Amino acid sequence: MAARAFQRLPSAPAGRILALRLVAIVLSLFIIAGVLALSGHSPVTLADLVLRSTLGSRFGLEDLALFMCPLLLTGAAVTVCGTIGLWNIGAEGQFYAGAIAATGAALGLHGPAIVLLPVMTIAGILGGMAWITVPTLARAYAGVNEIITTLLLNFIASLLTYYLTTGPWRDRISGAQVSTQRLPVAIPEMWGIVHWGFPVAIVIVIGLALVLSRTRWGYEIRIGGANPEAARYAGIPVRLRIISVMLLSGGLAGLAGMFEVAGTVHRLQGGMANNFGYLGIVVAVLARGSCLNVIPAALLMALILDSGIVMQTQQLSASVVLAITGLILFMIAIGDELAHYRPVAGTAPKGKAS
Amino acid sequence: MIALLTGMLATAVLAGGVLALAALGEVLAERVGVTNLGVEGLMALGAVTAVMTVSAVPSPWVGLLVAGLVGAAGGMMFAFGAVVMRANQVLCGLATTFMGLGLSTALGHNYAGQPVATTFGHVSVPVLSSIPVIGPALFAQNILIVPIYVLLPALVHFVMFRTRHGLNMRAVGENPAAADAAGIPVMAMRFWYVTLGGAMAGLAGGYLTLTYVPVWSEGMVAGRGWIALALVIFAGYRPVIVTLSALLFGLVTALSFVGQAHNWPIDPAFLNMLPYLGTMAFIIVPVVVWHRMRRVMAAPAALAQPYYRDVR
Repeated sequence: MAARAFQRLPSAPAGRILALRLVAIVLSLFIIAGVLALSGHSPVTLADLVLRSTLGSRFGLEDLALFMCPLLLTGAAVTVCGTIGLWNIGAEGQFYAGAIAATGAALGLHGPAIVLLPVMTIAGILGGMAWITVPTLARAYAGVNEIITTLLLNFIASLLTYYLTTGPWRDRISGAQVSTQRLPVAIPEMWGIVHWGFPVAIVIVIGLALVLSRTRWGYEIRIGGANPEAARYAGIPVRLRIISVMLLSGGLAGLAGMFEVAGTVHRLQGGMANNFGYLGIVVAVLARGSCLNVIPAALLMALILDSGIVMQTQQLSASVVLAITGLILFMIAIGDELAHYRPVAGTAPKGKAS
Repeated sequence: MIALLTGMLATAVLAGGVLALAALGEVLAERVGVTNLGVEGLMALGAVTAVMTVSAVPSPWVGLLVAGLVGAAGGMMFAFGAVVMRANQVLCGLATTFMGLGLSTALGHNYAGQPVATTFGHVSVPVLSSIPVIGPALFAQNILIVPIYVLLPALVHFVMFRTRHGLNMRAVGENPAAADAAGIPVMAMRFWYVTLGGAMAGLAGGYLTLTYVPVWSEGMVAGRGWIALALVIFAGYRPVIVTLSALLFGLVTALSFVGQAHNWPIDPAFLNMLPYLGTMAFIIVPVVVWHRMRRVMAAPAALAQPYYRDVR
């Protein structure tokens, strides 16, 4: 066995995690640049183009905010679930369920926007909650792995959206494919094309951070996640907390769907979730369990998505973005683990202990 | 009625083969204590590289081989993160799925929608293929059916439960510290079985495009990797049961085909939901109905836990 030059700490210092994550992201960017160069694209020209069309222009900034809005909420959805140690991989499906419920309310009811929008909001939240109910109960009462049950429901939600937008709710006015007609009401815009859902999402994320850190409920959730046995011993009703957290998580993702359908897309469309649910997982991982960190994490993810649009104009498939996200996620997962290691004084650094 | 049953079973066997291969690979990985959530992405990579290969080299065997190698490479990359670097297995797995889905779409851009150049043809085994109902399903389809449903599961079952190596392998998944103390190379065992599992996910993808759905399109794996993961849990991490449950799932898929072919008064979108709904029911209902199931079908004790020799 090699000399032990490194020691693993049970928890990693935040500074080292940040440093290693920067290394991970830079390394990923180098790999991406290398692949782009090999496939005949100039990485420098592309990077210049990406920066100018995202942070460097008013339209770019507006797009960023529109991408951030759903990512803030799906990121928060995965984060709150993670607080109690569970993975909600089904934010994509809950997003669709929220969008479907909100659309149903908008198409089925009539009234002024001031009445209809709150009703749609509630419908969206309830839709998301309904979509996570079965995985929640299965987890809480039978211990069924929530990763797989939440994920499977994504496919069902996507098929249901397809059915509604090509069947009973299809657009009979303009004949758009896989889409409903334009909704009668929309969330008002506040800055260019950015609607009020964006500031509301930020406020919700900050509010969640306060609830999780300052209330008894938040404390019990955190203890339940850190050590379920100890929590049970201390009299915390862990099962009930699991149920409330998972429903909250589904509601947040459902709200993201409502905001997207009522603020950005204005119609229920097949494929409108745009991977926001899956990318919410990445946002939550970047945020490391803190709701406040969800804001910069969603910004970073929105930047990556926004640059995907630029890449499409350069004959690169939009799916490249998903691959890039995967690479960054992989590198960060490794970086976070490496941050746990500390060099031990007195031994020659001969690489990591095995 | 017999014709309907025969047709359904044939479709079930064909469709279930994808799941059987991927799920058997995942059984290997999970038995040594590693959950690979990257199966879906590796299947997509296998499916697209098989299509690309046969368009250059007109042999389905070469296509299948390349799909397996690509899956193995992807599995190795996942294992580097999740086993060697001991990073979070859920994250590494999701990252692998993202990379696999994204890369496969980018690679397959020029091949989307075109029929696959060469596929595995039908091979009829004399005598056996004339057995009513099961004959056409098992012995008159492509040549991979018997290896997938009989040879591979039997081999894995034998190695896992009848050899010393299999005992060691299960020990690594149940108690890596004890296995390590007994001199079993924990890390090597995990690394190579995860790689093998990845190779089988790649093969499953290749099987998908070279036999069952001979055309590449984005999103064609359609959650089959996740269904395979669910089957592993449902089957209690047992190779023979996992293969049988893949066949059962093939039947659910076949049911939705039969429904569409016979114009049942149900929208195809709902029939297409059947495999996902079925999977949900399969992993929830048994545990609820029969509580002891949880212990009988329990996961390996050290599943998803990285092994550190110096941290207890």
